[in-house]
Amino acid sequence: MKIFDPTAAASTRPLGLAPTPPRLDGVRLALVENTKFNSETLLRKLAERLGRKYGTTLSVVHRKRSPSHEIEDGVIPALRRQADLVISGIGD
Amino acid sequence: MTDSAAASDPSALIEAYFAAGYTDGLPVVPPTEKSIAAALAAAGLRAEEPLGEIPSRNTRVTAEKAAINAVMAGCRPEYFPVVVAAIRGLCRPEFAYHGPASSTGGSAMVLIVNGPIARAIGINAGNNLFGQGHRPNATIGRAVRLVMMNVMNTRPGLLDRATLGTPGKYSFCFAENEDDHPWEPLHVTRGFAAHDSTVTVYASNSLCQAYNQLAATPEPLLLCLADALANLSTPNLKGFNESLVVLAGEHTDVLRRNGWSRRDAQQFLVEHASQRVADLKRGGRLPGEVTADDETAERRVFEAPEDILLVCAGGRAGAWSACLPGWGKKWTRSVTVHVEGPR
Repeated sequence: MKIFDPTAAASTRPLGLAPTPPRLDGVRLALVENTKFNSETLLRKLAERLGRKYGTTLSVVHRKRSPSHEIEDGVIPALRRQADLVISGIGD
Repeated sequence: MTDSAAASDPSALIEAYFAAGYTDGLPVVPPTEKSIAAALAAAGLRAEEPLGEIPSRNTRVTAEKAAINAVMAGCRPEYFPVVVAAIRGLCRPEFAYHGPASSTGGSAMVLIVNGPIARAIGINAGNNLFGQGHRPNATIGRAVRLVMMNVMNTRPGLLDRATLGTPGKYSFCFAENEDDHPWEPLHVTRGFAAHDSTVTVYASNSLCQAYNQLAATPEPLLLCLADALANLSTPNLKGFNESLVVLAGEHTDVLRRNGWSRRDAQQFLVEHASQRVADLKRGGRLPGEVTADDETAERRVFEAPEDILLVCAGGRAGAWSACLPGWGKKWTRSVTVHVEGPR
């Protein structure tokens, strides 16, 4: 008898982490807001604090269609052009 | 484990699947080459054929992995085309899998089967609709959940963050009762022919059985259902909900006897599934102080009649129907997928 593996490894596309910026002063921030309640308020406050403390600048705020949907086609390349660091990921 | 251990004690093989973390908490049927091949043949699929992809999980579902999980769930081969169609539905972009699969709301993936295949494989559309006792209902939904766990990485505590979950997360599959229906069945309203077989996939985290034994006309009956769809604890009261209503025997007869169309019932529910803004604020479902205007301002739960999926199923006797509020159509939409057999 044999055990059949019912699982699948994540494999459809390679994913890599962007390098961490060596310093934050002058870094351009992007916010990806997922429409969760208060998420934009929280992210903007975070951006303000980072600006005050480290000298970052808020470059762009992108509002996703919903928390459930993928980020829209073409947005990631645009963010890459407009920002050095992206903050996302609001849960409950 | 060794081959001889499994041969002498089949439960050892079942335990091995538990030990590997492959089950939903219930014992599984250990697959064999033969049972996996039989499932694939029943759907006319090659092992490596992709059924769909969940980009946010960076994963792809192949026919072979789906078949392994379907056998584990206890599916007979002839159930597998329904499982495949449901998986294709989960992978549709408009279903937006990530939210309903991961949320603290803990949605069940409700599978509504229409068309000839429901009768051919014996999916229950009658008594004890959501309960135990029918192998296709129990195992088709279970197979889909096992695929979600094992292939789509939707595991409790990890990418399944349900606060409570629902027993429907083990399995939630039923057929519409097309033999005793006052209107055209669900799949026909969604653009399919009556002779097509389909699965409609819909995410819902709660099921409210709605009781009304006195209503002899549609209005009081539908008022009860509207209340169940729009109570203060309904997950999404933002005005763009999509909900499932399952009308059972006696309630279906009330609408039929009074000549109400599907559209009539949907429109009534749209107009009456609402809350006063004042009550939404008092209940903490809207921010802010209650104003005088809030006492008379109403907020509807639905935008349009088609946002309410009306399905007829369940026992002939009893004054029960069921309301299953959804997530909100801007965040996920029910999808209906054709069930394909061998080509």
